[in-house]
Amino acid sequence: MGSLRRPLHICVRCSRFVPLLLATACVPALGRAQQSPPADIVFKGATVMTASHGTLSPGQVWVHAGKIAGVGATVSAPDSATVVDATGLWLTPGIIDPHSHSALDGDVNEATSPVTPSMHMIDAFDNRSADLYRALAGGVTTELLLHGSANMIGGQAVVIKNKFGLDRDAMLFPNAPGSIKFASGENPMRVYGSRDQLPSTRMGNFEVMRMAFEDARHYMADWDAYDAKVKKGDKDAVAPKRDLKLEALADVLRGKLYVQIHCYRADEFLTEEAIAKEYGYKIRAFHHALEMYKVAPQIAADGTGIATFTDWWGFKDEARDAIPWNAVMSMRQGVKVALKSDSDDHIRRLNVEAGKMVHYGGATEDEAIRMVTLNAAWIIGVDDRTGSIDVGKDADLVLWNHDPLSTYAHALKVYIDGDLFFDASLPGWGTTHFNGVMHDGGGFGSDDGEDGQ
Amino acid sequence: MIKALVQVTVAVTCLAAPPVLLAADTPTSKTIAITGGKLLTVSHGTIENGVLVLADGKIAAVGTAAEVKIPKGAQIVDAKGLTVYPGLIDPETNFGLTEISADAMTNDLAERSDEIMPHMHVSDAFHSETDLIPVARLNGITNAVVAPASDDSIAGQDIFIQLYGSRNQMMLATDVALAMNYGAEQRRSNGFRGGHATYPSTRMGLVTELRQTFLDTQDYMAKRDAAGKKDDKAFKRDLKFEALIPYLKGERPVVIGVYESYDVETIMHLAQEFHLKVILNHVTQTQDVLDEIAAWKVPVIIGSIYDAPRANERYDAVFTLPAELAKRGVKIAISSADGGGPASSHSSRNLPYAAGFAVGYGLPYDDALKAITLNVAEMFGFGDKLGSLDVGKMANVVIANGDPLDVRTDVKQVYIQGIAVPMVSRQTKLRDEYSK
Repeated sequence: MGSLRRPLHICVRCSRFVPLLLATACVPALGRAQQSPPADIVFKGATVMTASHGTLSPGQVWVHAGKIAGVGATVSAPDSATVVDATGLWLTPGIIDPHSHSALDGDVNEATSPVTPSMHMIDAFDNRSADLYRALAGGVTTELLLHGSANMIGGQAVVIKNKFGLDRDAMLFPNAPGSIKFASGENPMRVYGSRDQLPSTRMGNFEVMRMAFEDARHYMADWDAYDAKVKKGDKDAVAPKRDLKLEALADVLRGKLYVQIHCYRADEFLTEEAIAKEYGYKIRAFHHALEMYKVAPQIAADGTGIATFTDWWGFKDEARDAIPWNAVMSMRQGVKVALKSDSDDHIRRLNVEAGKMVHYGGATEDEAIRMVTLNAAWIIGVDDRTGSIDVGKDADLVLWNHDPLSTYAHALKVYIDGDLFFDASLPGWGTTHFNGVMHDGGGFGSDDGEDGQ
Repeated sequence: MIKALVQVTVAVTCLAAPPVLLAADTPTSKTIAITGGKLLTVSHGTIENGVLVLADGKIAAVGTAAEVKIPKGAQIVDAKGLTVYPGLIDPETNFGLTEISADAMTNDLAERSDEIMPHMHVSDAFHSETDLIPVARLNGITNAVVAPASDDSIAGQDIFIQLYGSRNQMMLATDVALAMNYGAEQRRSNGFRGGHATYPSTRMGLVTELRQTFLDTQDYMAKRDAAGKKDDKAFKRDLKFEALIPYLKGERPVVIGVYESYDVETIMHLAQEFHLKVILNHVTQTQDVLDEIAAWKVPVIIGSIYDAPRANERYDAVFTLPAELAKRGVKIAISSADGGGPASSHSSRNLPYAAGFAVGYGLPYDDALKAITLNVAEMFGFGDKLGSLDVGKMANVVIANGDPLDVRTDVKQVYIQGIAVPMVSRQTKLRDEYSK
């Protein structure tokens, strides 16, 4: 059922978008000279922060056919390789944001019902949004675009590679696992409480979830019964009516979707874990998770990570106990920690946010850079493909003018799959693939209202 | 009426002379010698292996180890390998006017019942025990301007504070500047507070209302002077006009919050018509009128440098603004106002990083440090008391383990008027409680 829905969903678009996709792929020069990336690139002389196995200073990185083919003090690239002299510069994996609402034109919450798991963020994705461009200029190569937090069970995320200027479907991260957004706490309480609807309390929050999963279990049982009949050769078996909402929930219960939960307070982490166990699914990550430092060992044992702000606090009551040491304290207790933006502003400078972790809690530079690269990739489930400079991974790389964890750093060049997508030295935007008109992102702060504005 | 009189007196006194701390409130400040550190004086360069002597709440000596004699009995603070610099000054905050942004009852940010509210005094609402202040202080912020939020054309009058002491000690000056705003936000257009449009619902209305208000104030001033000459007891004071008098006389600065180029031009035209002493604020979308701004010879507070550029502008159009203004000789300050973080001043602790970010986009380092110290002090009448490591200034000093503008740097100790401030906040207490 769940497996039926996704191909159908994508096929509807294929008919419309394949011609566009082909146009982009076959005729890349949309009014601007645009070449396919060189087969081999070697970066020489840079301080290489690998995110997985320390820093090489200096080191070399060889990119072949869009993948990392070598990394070390020296690499054995062919003589034909394009050499990038990066002496005095820094090279890191592309920055990854595991919590963004960019490029959705405000279509972040289908806040008309607290359970809307069949919403797909891909349907709102605007690949010409200026927010994507600005994030790219900040070194961001991969983003998880999430539903908002108005609903207990919001909708299904889209994972993009920030190949700004390419066709919409060419920006999707190929074969990235699906994620679904849950939320609890003040936001759903406020949204539905203000309408005098369920849920207006945390009691209501969690019972709404259980009720939804009870429905999903019943739905799954109906289908199981039908499938069993068909298997027995029962020609009269009548298929149950397909229900997109319940199919999505069934996918959660079957473990087909990574569960990403917006919540702030320690008690909510515990309750969410208890419900996950009750219904048999795993929680990939808590997002925001500002009180994780209070219960980190318990959550670490469940294998759930966090995607957190560095130092936001006080914008709402459930952010009252936020402390900037949360990330490092939680990491030291064994929780997988990523930093995220939840903001079209902060997404442009996640590297500097990572630098704060050196200040607040004494993270090593290696640990700090991992929070915005490899650990963020893990939250999304693409850490086997990107997030570190390791042989075989996608060549998603950023060249910086300065130590990327310092206040003074900015991205000079950004590569995705070995292709240069941003070059600050170019006049104008510095984009290499984008033509046309950017769409206004339309917001400074958190698109999900997390900044209290 | 009496209250207002007292306040005006306080304001004038404070601007004229340093505040006199009440004896009962004064914590003891010892004589302290900070030795061996790298001193960033702001006013006269960097001194390696310097000595800074704090006595009686003031800077008593500053110089190299060879130049400065350490007074007998002074407490020695070894700052070898550390960096010492003047306390940072945030030119726009809401300290003491907000606690939890989303909780209306903890917010005294702006009186939105009318657009012209010069008689709103931040000093009346200032909640000195706010959790926000110790949090900012731990990152080296020692002083700040507290302003109302920007909902109104004239939102009220600011205070200039230090981030330690009793409430009275903290308010170094009340009614130190007029908080004015101009642009789309102040319009009472359709949908303002969910209601129907009321006057002024357009920029035309906003400007006309301001001009009428200033004319009415001038008229009031004339009648008041005439009544004063006759010793006319029957003259009825109007607090709104009274509040505006020092500003129309050009005695105190008017901080005008404005973002767009064309709005800046419009409001400056009005300000010049009434000879206001202007400090421009925000100006984050003014890339095409920077020469004009420089020609006006007015100081500018830039913030947030993290404001979004317009679609189709280069990604760093706002990041480069401090550098572009400084290059044109404009006296700049940088505020903590955070484009993407929590609204209000929960992010004030990130003030030095905003300045550092501007350095990353071309602002000379010394200009960046000045933009969050001496320049702010000078804009608000504290140039001879704060903002640099100079003899006679208030001993507001920070010791850190590195470059103050770098996000990785850890502040080790903050002194305010020579007192070593406890390096504790609600957040450190939570950290320590859960680190046991």
